[in-house]
Amino acid sequence: MNSRSFPIHYCIKRILYVIPILFGVTLITFIIFNVAGGDPAFEQAGRNATQEQIESIRKELGLDRPLVWQYLHFVKQTLSFSWGNSWSTSQNINQMFLKGVGPSLCLTLPSFIISIGLSILLALYTTFMGSRKPIVDQSISSLCLALMSVSFLVYIICFQYFFAYYLGLFEINGWSFDWTERWSYLILPWIISIFVTLGPNILIFRSAFLNEVNQDYVRTARSKGVSQFHVYFRHILQNSLVPIITIVMLQVPYLLTGSLLLEAFFGIPGLGGVLIQAIQNADFPVVKAFTVMGSLAYIFINLFTDLLYIVADPRIELK
Amino acid sequence: MLKNILLVLLLLSLSAQCTRKNEAPSGELFSYLDANVPNLDPIHSTNKYSSTVTQSIFEGLYHYHYFKRPLEIEPLLAEALPEISKDGLNYTVRLKKGVYFQDDKAFPKGKGTEVTAEDFIYSWKRLADPKNKGQGWWMLDDKIVGLNEWRELRKKGKADYSTPVEGLKAIDPYTLRITLKQRSYQFLHILASPPTVVVAQEVVENYGDQIGNHPVGTGPYALVQWVRNSKIELSKNENYHKSFFPKEGNQDSNNKGDLEDAGKLLPLSDKVTIRIMTERQPLWLSFLKGKIDHGVIPKDNNDQILENNKIRKEYAQKGISIHPQDRPDVLYVGINMEDPVLGKHVNLRKAMNAAINRDLLIEKLYSGRGIKAQGPIPPSIVGYNENYKSPNNYDLKNAKSLMAEAGFPDGKGLPEFTLDLPNSDTWSKQFGEFLKDQWGKIGVKIKLATNTWPQFDKKLKTKQVTLFPNAWMADYPDSENFLQLFYSKNISPGPNSLNFKNEDFDRMFERFLTLPPGNERYDLTQEMVKLINEHSPALFTLHRSFRLPYHGWLKNYNEYPIIYDYLKYLRVDEEVKKELIKKL
Repeated sequence: MNSRSFPIHYCIKRILYVIPILFGVTLITFIIFNVAGGDPAFEQAGRNATQEQIESIRKELGLDRPLVWQYLHFVKQTLSFSWGNSWSTSQNINQMFLKGVGPSLCLTLPSFIISIGLSILLALYTTFMGSRKPIVDQSISSLCLALMSVSFLVYIICFQYFFAYYLGLFEINGWSFDWTERWSYLILPWIISIFVTLGPNILIFRSAFLNEVNQDYVRTARSKGVSQFHVYFRHILQNSLVPIITIVMLQVPYLLTGSLLLEAFFGIPGLGGVLIQAIQNADFPVVKAFTVMGSLAYIFINLFTDLLYIVADPRIELK
Repeated sequence: MLKNILLVLLLLSLSAQCTRKNEAPSGELFSYLDANVPNLDPIHSTNKYSSTVTQSIFEGLYHYHYFKRPLEIEPLLAEALPEISKDGLNYTVRLKKGVYFQDDKAFPKGKGTEVTAEDFIYSWKRLADPKNKGQGWWMLDDKIVGLNEWRELRKKGKADYSTPVEGLKAIDPYTLRITLKQRSYQFLHILASPPTVVVAQEVVENYGDQIGNHPVGTGPYALVQWVRNSKIELSKNENYHKSFFPKEGNQDSNNKGDLEDAGKLLPLSDKVTIRIMTERQPLWLSFLKGKIDHGVIPKDNNDQILENNKIRKEYAQKGISIHPQDRPDVLYVGINMEDPVLGKHVNLRKAMNAAINRDLLIEKLYSGRGIKAQGPIPPSIVGYNENYKSPNNYDLKNAKSLMAEAGFPDGKGLPEFTLDLPNSDTWSKQFGEFLKDQWGKIGVKIKLATNTWPQFDKKLKTKQVTLFPNAWMADYPDSENFLQLFYSKNISPGPNSLNFKNEDFDRMFERFLTLPPGNERYDLTQEMVKLINEHSPALFTLHRSFRLPYHGWLKNYNEYPIIYDYLKYLRVDEEVKKELIKKL
């Protein structure tokens, strides 16, 4: 990109796309919540509520107003990023997001980085062994398929039982804001997370590398006597960056939402749990805020991915 | 490669263990909650999860004796039980002197103020204030003279907290006069319930809409840290008023040696950590490892630890004991009586009732943890008649003949009904399939509809259900709390989700409300139970009966629903813990 100007027009255009996308997201969220969701007034009123109480709560929450007004109010909140307070916990929603995002990232980011790094290395290794010792390639590929065939929940249940309870190597459940203690609660969820993502990542990266291995430029590099290390890490890896970036960036939004199952089983106070609680309590402001913020995260990560493409492959032009 | 991986794992785990602090400093108690707590404002404390925490931080005038069964009310912030006028309308309550709110920055110089009668009046107005949307308002609704009128004025913006309520008077700082609209034999229970605890106006005004995140009361514990979805840490309230461990209990507590701490100052533990574990596996494993002092047995692990409802030898050797807990609840399959077919045919409802094999249900789906229900009132509540047998108990032959009498022999001419389930988990589906199978035997066909809880609740309160499983846990230990589920003035969105309307029942219920505890009230209760079973708007299945495990180092464990302030009585014997933890 050094020799080329930054695609400013493309970026502006993509940012402008946010407007119709957000309109669609808000509309769909609003419809789903109002049609298929529960009634927040019932949830807030409790099991012994009278009709008078329910009406009073409905009025208090603005649910007695016309749907158009409610939708426009939602749009206004979206544009100002002012979501107010959660209906069930009374916390400021932006504060809830900020409190939850830290634990979520603590849980997902290290395992994500390790998993991607390990997957690339193992995929390169299995690609390299493919023509020399096919049994190694086949074994790794089969193992990856086997790893993928087991559900996430089974991994969690088995690993938690075996490593944390039976062997006593790790904490079963818990959380601390003190880093010296916190990571003792995180190691096992990290391991599980790496285990679960390793299989599919290796297989996808391997197929990207295999597409490059028989290209002319690889043959030329080898005939010029370039070392295997250089061929794989300098040429094949660099030329496979576009599919790798696509796969990696697709996973990035999930880093924020955390992993609901891991959070629930290991007592990690991340965003996944916050969102599930909000859905269970018909806490519309929280659900709205998370949906919109999630959509925005997707939009900007996609834009960032596009920009990374032109860094990875100068032939790509963003129009 | 495998060796290297194992080596890395070992190193990671060793370093992880090196960083752990001593997890059980002296006097620290580790408890749990198996659901999240959204809010710690006591006016919303209407379930056991939030109440377990709020009742450790806040206190009301009365509470229940920790050991005595049936439950017995005793004074907490009141000096004694109230002086009640002959007509039952005026309650005079004398408050304990020298009870202070926990220190908090909301108070002048950070020092908690002394609790007075005005604080209670403020707290109850706050519960009545429609702006606060207090879930516990129903407890005071239509009870105190002038309080509903104050609520109406408040709604219109014509009253504030200085506007007097006729039925609430502070005679002096330590004397409170409450005037009821009509005699209520449940009112003492209401004064012992979590939503009616005392809060400080300074604290409420200081934290505003964040009050649910900053609980400050007079209770034995103060909130130290609340990590949502993970843990709640409480520490001993150093200014806690003098309150002592009970000196008497029932036969069971005497036998177990639970009165060893009799007369000791409460709370017995300096610190409490409540772990929030919504998943059964980590909860169970944490208990087995001794990370929590008491726990709950997951349904699938019942046989692992119990044999004929008694603890297996290998677990007993580890010091684990079982606390039996018969819950004051009733589980039933509800019928929406406004359904054009089910509502009209009593014999059809009775046939469906008689087609449910409760023994099989309890064995297969509850791992034997339940008592067959004969009516709405559970065994631990006054009004339960252990000799009464429901005419709707399992009898397939009778069910088939009732179907014929209803005009639907073998289900001919019947439409397919929908059973709405409040969840989409495996257990709910199994429950639905069980009923499908049972009713299939008499020709009643159903289809299952899964919902999220908010969807289910909405359907229930807007009468959009036909058949639905439901449960009712006592708010207070009085049969009125169960019988009100059938009162026509409580139909949806009220607690009568069955939409059952019966003039005879209403008449009896209204008379029941005027009767003091005694034989006449008991006999009337039996008549009402019979009438309910005759009409079968609800197909009662069971009352849950839990076996709760606890470790040998936990002293005085006697958890019972409704008694939410139990944490202050619990103590960990550190010496015993050191020994027993080695065996885990």
